[in-house]
Amino acid sequence: MKVTYFQQVPYRELPDDFEKRYESVVTTPYALTEPSKVHSAFTSALDEMMHAARAGFDAVAVTEHAQSAYDMAPNPNVLEAALAYATEAEGIATGIYPLGRSLGKSREPLRAAEELAMLDAISGGRLIAGFPVGLAYDANVNNGVPPAETRLRFDENLELVLKAWREPHPFPWNGRFHQHPAVNIWPRPLQPNPPVFITGIGNPRTMEFCLQRGFGFNYFGWFGAKVAGRRIFDRFWEAANRLGKDDNPYQMGFMQTICVADTDAKAEKLFARHAEYFFQKGIGSIPMERLSLPGGIDIKGLQFIFRDPGDFGIYPRMREASFAELVDAGSVICGSPATVRDQLDRIAREFRIGNLHAMLQFGSMPHELAKDNISLFAEQVLPHLRPIWDDEGWQHHWWPEALGGVPAGTTTEAVSA
Amino acid sequence: MTTTATTTLTTTLTDRTVGTWDGRITLRVRVGGEGPPLVYLHPSAGLAWDPFLDKLARHYTIYAPEFPGTTPGDPYAIHQLDDLWDTVLVYEQALRGLGLSGVPVIGQSFGGMLAAELAAAYPDLFCQVVLLDPVGLWRDDNPVANWISAPPAELPAMLFADPESDAAQAMLALPEDPDAQADALAQMVWNLGATGKLCWPIPDRGLHKRLHRITAPTLVVWGEDDALISPVYAQEFATRIADSRVELIPKSGHIPQVEQMEATYSTVSAFLG
Repeated sequence: MKVTYFQQVPYRELPDDFEKRYESVVTTPYALTEPSKVHSAFTSALDEMMHAARAGFDAVAVTEHAQSAYDMAPNPNVLEAALAYATEAEGIATGIYPLGRSLGKSREPLRAAEELAMLDAISGGRLIAGFPVGLAYDANVNNGVPPAETRLRFDENLELVLKAWREPHPFPWNGRFHQHPAVNIWPRPLQPNPPVFITGIGNPRTMEFCLQRGFGFNYFGWFGAKVAGRRIFDRFWEAANRLGKDDNPYQMGFMQTICVADTDAKAEKLFARHAEYFFQKGIGSIPMERLSLPGGIDIKGLQFIFRDPGDFGIYPRMREASFAELVDAGSVICGSPATVRDQLDRIAREFRIGNLHAMLQFGSMPHELAKDNISLFAEQVLPHLRPIWDDEGWQHHWWPEALGGVPAGTTTEAVSA
Repeated sequence: MTTTATTTLTTTLTDRTVGTWDGRITLRVRVGGEGPPLVYLHPSAGLAWDPFLDKLARHYTIYAPEFPGTTPGDPYAIHQLDDLWDTVLVYEQALRGLGLSGVPVIGQSFGGMLAAELAAAYPDLFCQVVLLDPVGLWRDDNPVANWISAPPAELPAMLFADPESDAAQAMLALPEDPDAQADALAQMVWNLGATGKLCWPIPDRGLHKRLHRITAPTLVVWGEDDALISPVYAQEFATRIADSRVELIPKSGHIPQVEQMEATYSTVSAFLG
């Protein structure tokens, strides 16, 4: 099993009554911030990323969110670039994993292709590329893409990025959204086929797309692995079975919020308020209409959601959710190394997860506590998770060769559904 | 207090389908009424046959095309339209295919924008134009509210001066059967997304540059209390259309033909003559 460290750049000192007064995205007043605390949010995040890289995580993953108080990282590649060089300089063989650039949002997909190629070049072939379709508030509100176009843009942009990476000769691109007379990016990635993961929230079409095309699939467990996870993972593996694909666990990535201390009681004492801060003021303060806009979800998906909103898990109650409720839903796993180990082991095996993205700093968690969390996880949890899939003998086709993976490449031609 | 909530609709509707766009779109046109033809272009949530149309159908044969993607059972027709230019061509082709030319048009909100675009692109297509709280223009000092991204709880106040009125409640009512309700909500959300293709993120595709091309006599009707798009926009339309006048409807929000049906009907029918 691969275990990556997952980083966001939250503003860590929002006011106590934030969730009662503001949304955490789009309109959040920037006057709530202080320059010195914005600065420290970034230096702390980068320090934590390096701390995790040195502690032995297999990769360091960063997400993209613009106009957001819970994650001030409108371009994860900027952070990953710093990490790519610093790890190269220190000789740390860890994956550079932007989780990454939303291609439903991007109006400049070639720029994304170029930035990622630069990361692969800087890191000596350690890039793993994540491509989310894009959250509604970010793609549609922040970037003005009509919701009905998000998916179409994603589809075109992904093909353009992959072709720009692979095609040896200049080629013209006459797309619906982009026209380029001669695509010939410098640099191209060092890896012939950089591993690609697509982030989804449960849309069966995205899952089938990943399986058909040979992309990895990432799911983020903020809505609660215990309440929403079973549905999502079962849906993926049922689709794999239906399509006659392997149930290779390394195709599945899962992000989990985790905190660990010497004892269960100490972990709760240290981390509970930071978890509540993150979920109440962060994810929980994104209103539903920022996550879901007319046109962004297929009508079949709408008919499904209006009958059964279960994929949203604890999200509708998150703005007021207590630590206990968040733990019950599985939104956060918190406890002693043994407790955390056992829960992650069970989730990984039950849902066939071959890549765990451990979110170990979240919300208001201060820098030193985050480093303690990272250290203890790396020392006492991570080593137990690594061998989980060894007995099944799968190759990891979604991991760079430079880091021990066996990239299989992806299908270059679009597969009609 | 209006009594439209209990009004029984009497028009018998028949459906015509028109193949357009080189066969890639089959436009469904709901037709009802008796008299000379009149085109009605529906708002962004889709076509709803309301008491206003029912009354109008006593004097006109109303042709109400459904925007591609909003016809139940044919959601993906929207994928055949990339932009406003495609849309204008599809509608023009479909209307002429039905033998409709030189006829009156009424467009509400999104449909008002479409009516204005069509009248500007093809000045001979309509002999009279009625715009009911149309979108399509933009003023920074009076931004149009974003009805597509509005939380459902805020929509009634955005659409109606008095969301508690019978007429408003009747329009907002959903089927009681859970399955029917889920399908109705899904269709409405999908329709907002489909029409949103021409309105997102700002419902301005440059209509202000084209309004001067409209030659047909034009009536601009506006709910005096429209919270979605301010009545200041009425004059923005009127100043750009040579033969036009404005009528404000008191005690009405964004949908005057629903909220003040009688007053709106009187104004519109007097204009149509």
